Amino acid sequence: MLRNKKFHSGGFVLVEFAIALPLLILLLYGLTTVSLNIFRLEKDQLADYVLEEEAEYVMERITKAARAAKEIEAFNASNSIKIIYHTVDDDTDRNDVSDQSSGNYILYTIKDVWETQYFLTYAKAGSDFQNLYAVRQKTSKPTNPITGENYFGSTKINSLQFSELKENVLHITLEMESLKTGNKIKIATAVFMPGCEKKAGLPHE
Amino acid sequence: MRKIKILLKDERGYLMLNVIFLTLITSFAAMILLNAAPRVKNPHSTLRLTALYLADEQFAQLESMAAAGEPLTTNFLGKMEDLKSENSATGKPTEFKVETTISGDSNLREVTVTVKWTVDEKDFEIKSERTIWLVEK
Repeated sequence: MLRNKKFHSGGFVLVEFAIALPLLILLLYGLTTVSLNIFRLEKDQLADYVLEEEAEYVMERITKAARAAKEIEAFNASNSIKIIYHTVDDDTDRNDVSDQSSGNYILYTIKDVWETQYFLTYAKAGSDFQNLYAVRQKTSKPTNPITGENYFGSTKINSLQFSELKENVLHITLEMESLKTGNKIKIATAVFMPGCEKKAGLPHE
Repeated sequence: MRKIKILLKDERGYLMLNVIFLTLITSFAAMILLNAAPRVKNPHSTLRLTALYLADEQFAQLESMAAAGEPLTTNFLGKMEDLKSENSATGKPTEFKVETTISGDSNLREVTVTVKWTVDEKDFEIKSERTIWLVEK
């Protein structure tokens, strides 16, 4: 009887093991697949986030400068634009008329100045991908692009086009692509430029 | 062998139990991890950004009209092709609807632009507001 019971017990463990081992292997395989997918998803998500953020940043930079633009010159063939815009600076010449005691110092000493900003797309030597540069002077070899060269997923500028929708309404279309995921983003907006006096290179819609 | 059998006599059933519990625990872990992936939760953030800039386009046109002394209209005044976008995570084309409401009788008009779109039969919208000075000419 004892002998019989022992035999039965050993057999059960073997059968149990035979069922449990494939289950365990399946389970671990499933878990590994899910984990790998999630990691890949996260990496793609980060790359897409970089793409979205960079597109938003470029749009904000251009619309902010264009809103106060005095002169605009678009170079649609090279996906670039030159904006001369109004900004303010301390008027050091008028310090004598300022009344610092009454707290009106700032009012008297602000003067209108013009700032020049170029947004140039340019592909680095050895690279086929265009990055966008925000520079003050037109140069053939700009440095430190405002798009691309991101550790989480580099991007490229596919197109940056400008046109005039109505009198003094600048229409901007930006298309960017993530080099990591291949996803594209195309954003279009318009900005009204009340103080714009001179426009060049802008096709009318 | 005999010794092993004696040793395992009291252990029967536990391995199976372990696997069952492990399955349950890992299933929960996998569900939590999948939910944590933000792309699964919010695949349309890019469309929201596109819609916000589309609203800005409408505002720019309205501002231009207001500065020229023209009466403001509620039609979409931007480029028609901007109403279509393929920015969703699935790559499917999405169509935006732009609705504009203008309130106020004085020269300061409160303008609300609502951009609506539908993805997988779910409706989304953003609302943007701006005060526009109407120039009298």
